[in-house]
Amino acid sequence: MAGQGIQRREVLRILGTAAAAAQFPGFSKWGFACGHIGNAALQIKPAVYKPQFFTPAEYAAVERLADIIIPSDATPGAKEAGVAEFIDFMVANDPDVQYRFRLGLSWLNAHSSRTYGKPFADLSADQQISLLTPLGFKDKARPGEEDGRRFFAMMREYTVTGFYTSEIGFKELDNPALKFYSESPECPHKEDREHRHLAPTNS
Amino acid sequence: MAKKIYDVIVIGTGAGGGMTIKTLCEAGLKVCALNAGRRLNPEKDFRYHRMPWDMKFRGLDDPKRRDSFGYMDNEYTKAAWDHEIPFTVAPGTKWMWPRCNAVGGKTNFWGRSSARFGEIDFRAASLDWYDVDWPITYDEISPFYTRVEKMIGVASTVQNRPSNPDGTYLPPFNFRCLDYILQAGCEKVGVPFLPDRCAQLTQPHEGHPACHFCGECTTGCDVGAFFSTPYFLLPKAEATKNLELRTDALAKNVLVDENGQATGVAYIDRKTRQEVEVYGRAVVVAASCIESARIMLNSRSRHWPSGIANSSGQLGRNLCDHLYGETARGYLPQLLGQPSFPDHVADSTIAWMPRWQNLKDPHEEKFIRGYSVYPDGGCQEFPGFATELDGFGSSFKKEVKRRYPAPVSFGIQAPTLRSDTNYLDLDPEVKDPYGIPVARMHFQWDENVLKMWEHSKEVCAEVLRAAGGELEGLGDSPEIPGWSLHETGTCRMGNDPKDFVTNRFGQTHDVPNLYVCDASVFLNCTDKTTTISILAFSLRTSEHLIENFRQGEHKAA
Repeated sequence: MAGQGIQRREVLRILGTAAAAAQFPGFSKWGFACGHIGNAALQIKPAVYKPQFFTPAEYAAVERLADIIIPSDATPGAKEAGVAEFIDFMVANDPDVQYRFRLGLSWLNAHSSRTYGKPFADLSADQQISLLTPLGFKDKARPGEEDGRRFFAMMREYTVTGFYTSEIGFKELDNPALKFYSESPECPHKEDREHRHLAPTNS
Repeated sequence: MAKKIYDVIVIGTGAGGGMTIKTLCEAGLKVCALNAGRRLNPEKDFRYHRMPWDMKFRGLDDPKRRDSFGYMDNEYTKAAWDHEIPFTVAPGTKWMWPRCNAVGGKTNFWGRSSARFGEIDFRAASLDWYDVDWPITYDEISPFYTRVEKMIGVASTVQNRPSNPDGTYLPPFNFRCLDYILQAGCEKVGVPFLPDRCAQLTQPHEGHPACHFCGECTTGCDVGAFFSTPYFLLPKAEATKNLELRTDALAKNVLVDENGQATGVAYIDRKTRQEVEVYGRAVVVAASCIESARIMLNSRSRHWPSGIANSSGQLGRNLCDHLYGETARGYLPQLLGQPSFPDHVADSTIAWMPRWQNLKDPHEEKFIRGYSVYPDGGCQEFPGFATELDGFGSSFKKEVKRRYPAPVSFGIQAPTLRSDTNYLDLDPEVKDPYGIPVARMHFQWDENVLKMWEHSKEVCAEVLRAAGGELEGLGDSPEIPGWSLHETGTCRMGNDPKDFVTNRFGQTHDVPNLYVCDASVFLNCTDKTTTISILAFSLRTSEHLIENFRQGEHKAA
């Protein structure tokens, strides 16, 4: 059928397909925080999030990776949006990807130990960035690190998904979705159909 | 107690069933409608207008139960979809097929694109010598389209396209920035770029409120601002007091008398798991293309050893489908860094590139017939492009924001040709949880439709470049068959009882009091979507049925 949101379809494809069941413990940073639904039963907010799938060491690495991918800078980032909680929750509910995450994190630690003699979490911020740069930037890629690049791409997909489906992520983009309009919104620059002369507005 | 006999039993409450039920009830006939699922409560079951972070899985649903139809069958809509009734595929066939068995069927969430079929579709075989013509002309069906457009409200413009007859329209959707830019690109390439025919109410219409442009149509609309049978047709039928709607009633087979004529329907009450029989003077099968064929194939008796009304052997055969897929994607540099804009308000049905191939000469291209393209892009609820963006860190975050208004992509809608090898039959071994044999699918994309796919990739890339856009990728492969939910065929209409299941009115040749009111009577799927044509053809079939009651061909109960 025509009219299906292509972008929503994309994200679902990325998050893969699978099948089983789990308990939902609630999140500390996102969860069902929205007053406009008003479902009190859903607003469980433990003070400290307890990972459901990752070990504490793995979870710390996931938190750090998410923070590096979408950092807190002029605006809030993955940390404030609770992206690591989202990733843990989705992975805990998706047996199809658990092995890939676990393997990828082990790869990262082994790679870190080979390079710097200690696990990823114990590296300085600069060391972490230089370890990840060949994995995250295509033009810096090095042969022999294909597994690491695949894992990093998966981490980035999950981080992007967790961040931009959060309230903070919506604000970051000034996301116009889920608002009501009195008429179908129209292009404000019709006199320049090809839009060759738009003033650059990016800061 | 004498058994109750209705005038008509209607199986299904989607576009075809809904139109039939309304038309028959308003004509004073007593109707019993069967629906395999339950009735939705829009306030409770439609979970749209919720922020993703209000949903347990951000609207993406539990990964363990999610299938790849998640864009429709997801956390927002899961109350409505049926996962219990399976189907099987023959070796080598891939087929995806989600069923919405709730009352109203797929009209609860449909894509809303509503173009009329035209003479070029009905006479296609005369033009290119493939297959056969439809048994009706555009002039015959045109008044029914006009009436349907008035009932449901379609936003568009008069376009004078040879492949797309114009109708009566509400004001169109306004073009967004990306539409004007792509339109300018299309002009350079010589391809049309026009407002789609979109059944979303741009103004209040026939007692239904105008759209509020939230962009969540495919998760259901709780104000009924686009056509669905629960909002537009069933209330009218219920107002006549001539309708009895039985929900959770899974049709099993059509019942016949000693002469092989239809006497009613046997169904499974899914709550009690008991088989129930309901009787009528006439039966209308409107369960959607595949289910309708499955029910009829399963209606075997002494008279109809291979399924009811199947003396032609064509029941379940001639299955056609739309090939779907993203042909090209990229972004428009003109929009980089622009403020966000509500581009998502009608999903992908604001504009379309209606069939432009093989119009002057049916053999102009390397393929016959033609396809249409739906462009989309801009600021969507989720920045899908970002998952494939290179890099990380503050520069990455900034680039996501800069690119947010700029992505564009193109989706193809291309018809397969009728083929002897595309069909469904009953699986000889597998049964559903109620003991009914399941449908077994046999389907492959044909060479012609794959040529369209290749062709569309080139044209869409050219359009994007001509619009000043950056091409980032071409489609690797089309979606799996079944994805579009536009299957047609299986009970095709035609004048010769030896070759066709129904006559030109959707009445089966073999069993005069058995009618088919869905896309299974269509000869093929054309380059247009199916819903508005299902409505128009069902309206025509229903009125033919009513006339047969008036003439005494069917006796009123």
